Amino acid sequence: MSLMDTIRKSAPGRAIWRTPRRVTDRDRAAAHWGSFLLHIYPVRMRREQISFRWSWFLGVASMVLFGSLIASGIYLMFFYVPSPSTAYGDIIFLQTKVAFGQYIRNIHRWSAHLMVLAVAAHMARMFYRGAYKPPREFNWIVGVVLLVLTLLLSFTGYLLPWDQLAYWAVTIGTSMTEFVPFIGGTVGGMLLGGTEVGAQTLLRFYVLHVAVLPTLLVGIIMIHLWRWRKDSMLDMEVASE
Amino acid sequence: MSDDKPTQPSNVRVLGFVEGKPLVGDRKVPEEEDSVMVWPHLLIRHGVVALAVMVFVLGISLFFNAPLKEMANPSVTPNPEKAPWYFAALQELLSRFHPLVAGVLVPGAIIVGLLALPFIDRNPDTRMRNRRIAVATFTIFMVAWIILTLIGFAFRGPNWGWVWPWQEWYGEL
Amino acid sequence: MSEDLDRRHFLARLWTWGLGVMAGAAAWTSWDFLQPVAGQSGGPVATVSPDKIPTDSVLEIPAMRGYLTEIEGATEAIWWKCPHLGCKVPWCETSGQFECPCHGSVYNRKGEYRRGPAPRGMDRFEFTIINGVVVPDTSKIIRGAPAGSPETINEPPKGPECLDPTAG
Repeated sequence: MSLMDTIRKSAPGRAIWRTPRRVTDRDRAAAHWGSFLLHIYPVRMRREQISFRWSWFLGVASMVLFGSLIASGIYLMFFYVPSPSTAYGDIIFLQTKVAFGQYIRNIHRWSAHLMVLAVAAHMARMFYRGAYKPPREFNWIVGVVLLVLTLLLSFTGYLLPWDQLAYWAVTIGTSMTEFVPFIGGTVGGMLLGGTEVGAQTLLRFYVLHVAVLPTLLVGIIMIHLWRWRKDSMLDMEVASE
Repeated sequence: MSDDKPTQPSNVRVLGFVEGKPLVGDRKVPEEEDSVMVWPHLLIRHGVVALAVMVFVLGISLFFNAPLKEMANPSVTPNPEKAPWYFAALQELLSRFHPLVAGVLVPGAIIVGLLALPFIDRNPDTRMRNRRIAVATFTIFMVAWIILTLIGFAFRGPNWGWVWPWQEWYGEL
Repeated sequence: MSEDLDRRHFLARLWTWGLGVMAGAAAWTSWDFLQPVAGQSGGPVATVSPDKIPTDSVLEIPAMRGYLTEIEGATEAIWWKCPHLGCKVPWCETSGQFECPCHGSVYNRKGEYRRGPAPRGMDRFEFTIINGVVVPDTSKIIRGAPAGSPETINEPPKGPECLDPTAG
């Protein structure tokens, strides 16, 4: 009997897991069903759908990268003040004076680029799988929204180091809103908080980057995964008929 | 398989064999359509993917530093000025067409098209060979977009002029 | 019975309307709340006396994000932001025109559209002259004329352009 079995069979273990036995598939299904961490997964899946060539595991790669971004992003927040007079100096300080500061920033930067890549590739792979077809139409739409949110997150984060790369890329990006008919000028002004990229813009992008967009992304990912689980189970019902 | 035939203990007399599946453990060769338990079959794969992705990220972060240019200066525009790589295709279009077309209509059409895709392509078949038009259309758009991204990212230099990336490198990450 | 149902439907509709009003109020509040704050989107900037403004070139004034120039006795305060995508448009001394390195838009000394992907000429600021000093108001923007409008000054490029694609 393994250590985990002993723990599961103890009184606290029974209180947490409720299913001490892990012998038959039925035990495992009961354990899976009763687990908070596993409840985003279906209990069983079709064999072909868990293979590499089905999804290339790009969805789970995106999730892992998002996790890496949250973790490294929280570290960065300890050393960053979103103001034009301090932002650039904070990055220099982080890179030169803080232990592993440069490393954490590298992780955040490369995870962000890779996440954009992984999400886009996930979408392309799911297109070729035909995963936008019934019953998955809605989850495809949710996925497109997630792609847009990922791009917005990456773009708002691009401004925060307040270097030349950031400043002018965001100037170009926000200038495009001016050409949206009717509301473009107003929406551009709301993004910038003025007529050019400045202190207000930095603050607004920071709030979007660390609060608004991550919250939206987490919420919509939950819908995406919940729907994935439901649709996978629907596939099994079709297969067993 | 070695356990096709049940082993016969020597010290007992066999009255007969009952054929059937064992109560525990299913030894038949699984089909693609068969289902398996997510725990452990999918979870172990996800664990391996997670480890591989993290090893890759933590590895490249050791060797490549995130870029940091001079402090933002509103009175000097760098030349060339590059958008982030995922907007490089848009920037390339913007250098050729009116901003209303390249900056609003094209990205708008892409997003609306992707959102409406399940309701445009009503063919329920998911096998590649039965949906050639959909696959060809998507592939053409995707390849065009990748080419535009590469051009904007790596093949554009000062004054948005053409450069060969192996001669001069202006890509920014 | 039908009276009961009517009241129930009436109340249900009332609740729906109530929610709608609240959503509208929330949208309105957020929209106004996030507008740029007055005073943070430019204002009057004191620059130089009009007789210091060149008549064949331009004077860069970083504080007002633009250039001052004089054309046939009239002062012009031109915003340096490219109306294409917002890059700073530098003045090219050798050709005597504004040339944007980002996407190759070119404007004459008055900021009028010459060529390139920009949709209009460069924007200008309204200005007043206070105590003999030109004071442009950077919150009061005069939009440039659309691309294709005829140029009102006759100043063809006087030399090689800075925007030489083979340079660099």
